[in-house]
Amino acid sequence: MLQDYNIIMHNIALKIIEIKKYNNRRKMIMMKILLSIINNVRENNGMLPLESIAENMDLRADIGFDSLDLAELTVKIEKETGIDVFADSFVNTVGEILEKISK
Amino acid sequence: MKEDIFLVSKEGIRYTYHKLIEDINNSSKLLRCCYNPDTYSIFLHILTSIIYGKNMILLDYDFTDKELNSLGIDKNELSSYEYIDNQPITNFQDILNKVDNNEDWKLTLFTSGTTGLPKRVTHSINNLTRFVRKSEKHQSDIWGFAYNPTHIAGIQVFFQALLNRNTIIDLFNLSKNEIYNRIEEYQITNISATPTFYRMLMPIDKYYPSIRRITSGGERFDVNLSKSLLIAFPNAKLRNIYASTEAGSVLESSNDHFRITNPQICKIEHNKLYINSSLVGLEDNLNYWYDTGDLVEIIDENTGEFVFISRDNEMINVGGYNANPSEIEDVLCNHPAVEQARVWGKPNPIIGNILIADVVCRLKCTEKELRDYLKSLLQDYKIPRIINFTNKIEKTRSGKIKRK
Repeated sequence: MLQDYNIIMHNIALKIIEIKKYNNRRKMIMMKILLSIINNVRENNGMLPLESIAENMDLRADIGFDSLDLAELTVKIEKETGIDVFADSFVNTVGEILEKISK
Repeated sequence: MKEDIFLVSKEGIRYTYHKLIEDINNSSKLLRCCYNPDTYSIFLHILTSIIYGKNMILLDYDFTDKELNSLGIDKNELSSYEYIDNQPITNFQDILNKVDNNEDWKLTLFTSGTTGLPKRVTHSINNLTRFVRKSEKHQSDIWGFAYNPTHIAGIQVFFQALLNRNTIIDLFNLSKNEIYNRIEEYQITNISATPTFYRMLMPIDKYYPSIRRITSGGERFDVNLSKSLLIAFPNAKLRNIYASTEAGSVLESSNDHFRITNPQICKIEHNKLYINSSLVGLEDNLNYWYDTGDLVEIIDENTGEFVFISRDNEMINVGGYNANPSEIEDVLCNHPAVEQARVWGKPNPIIGNILIADVVCRLKCTEKELRDYLKSLLQDYKIPRIINFTNKIEKTRSGKIKRK
């Protein structure tokens, strides 16, 4: 009985690790997609591409987007993911976009 | 503010009223066209031209050569000037007297015309100062300046501040953090801006009690945004202005509902707003009703309350700037790779509408190539931010491009 319980717990733990790995992978993929969209907008507007982005980066202060750039970003994210990130509230950071497109 | 500051520039330079008077007195040449990126220089130019009674043309500094050309302005005209006598202004009151007694002075601006050609709009000082509120109450106002200084809304804010001898803090094109720092540092009391400007300040996580008045204009009023603004600026009253380059400010309200309070200057016919030509700065003296192209819906027949719903022409409002899709399509079609183009506005939560171009190419080309090409010919806000390459663009039966 106890052995069965241990096996079940062990399997659950394995599943949780698997889900976490899956989520991390998914997040990494989303991050990559987002980086390529951000760089597309930057390059279209005469800015150099970024090598990487981090969740705490501010879209305006750190990435250098103005209102027109942000509008372009939203349309391109929607095209790639089907999600309008500005639909219900204003997003400020890379992390806030990731949260919305990873749901 | 203890010091007599006229303007704090984006770079943080403080220009006093004393310095302004000195610079007016020291001017020896007056350019006919003002084509300058610097807010202080633009204001100095406007005032000097008023004081000397010389008409002036105000141009956006980001107009391209092609755009200047289409306005009928060549390079020679940009550098043409007159010598001016050294006619000293001794004090601020002299400036006020000149502004008050200069009925002949005219300022010319340009706006995107519905026909595809830019429209020349010429305003008298009376028209530009029609909505100025001048009183003791306004003497302590400190203005956050958030409009393009070459556009009519910016000029109206300039006169409002000047005629009350207020300080202007230039916020136009500053980042969110810099704007907040300046609101606190200079204890700004009034801001007049587009909804797009205010949206770029969101979300606001602090209170800014110094703000007493926020004015929204140039774009459709945003009810949700106004609620957020009133939380961040708890001492502020909100004003919504309906204005146009042709007529300046025309109507005002505290929300998105308007009423015509003066039937001599405005009327609604067939759900469209018309403005009396006496307010309109087009170069004719005829008496007629100017068609604004703005469609309205009457909300209350008894009070005459109405809201703006859409436009009956093709102009697209991008963050407070009007873009004419035909002008952009013409430029696109001049690119050797482009066979056909259609430009349209997609509603956008940040800038109201984002420009999208559908393009049929005869040669291979990239989005970046087309964007760079457009950038050399058009102002930034007119450049479609999304370019869709497609095989076919539908036409109407009369052969016109079908817009979405």
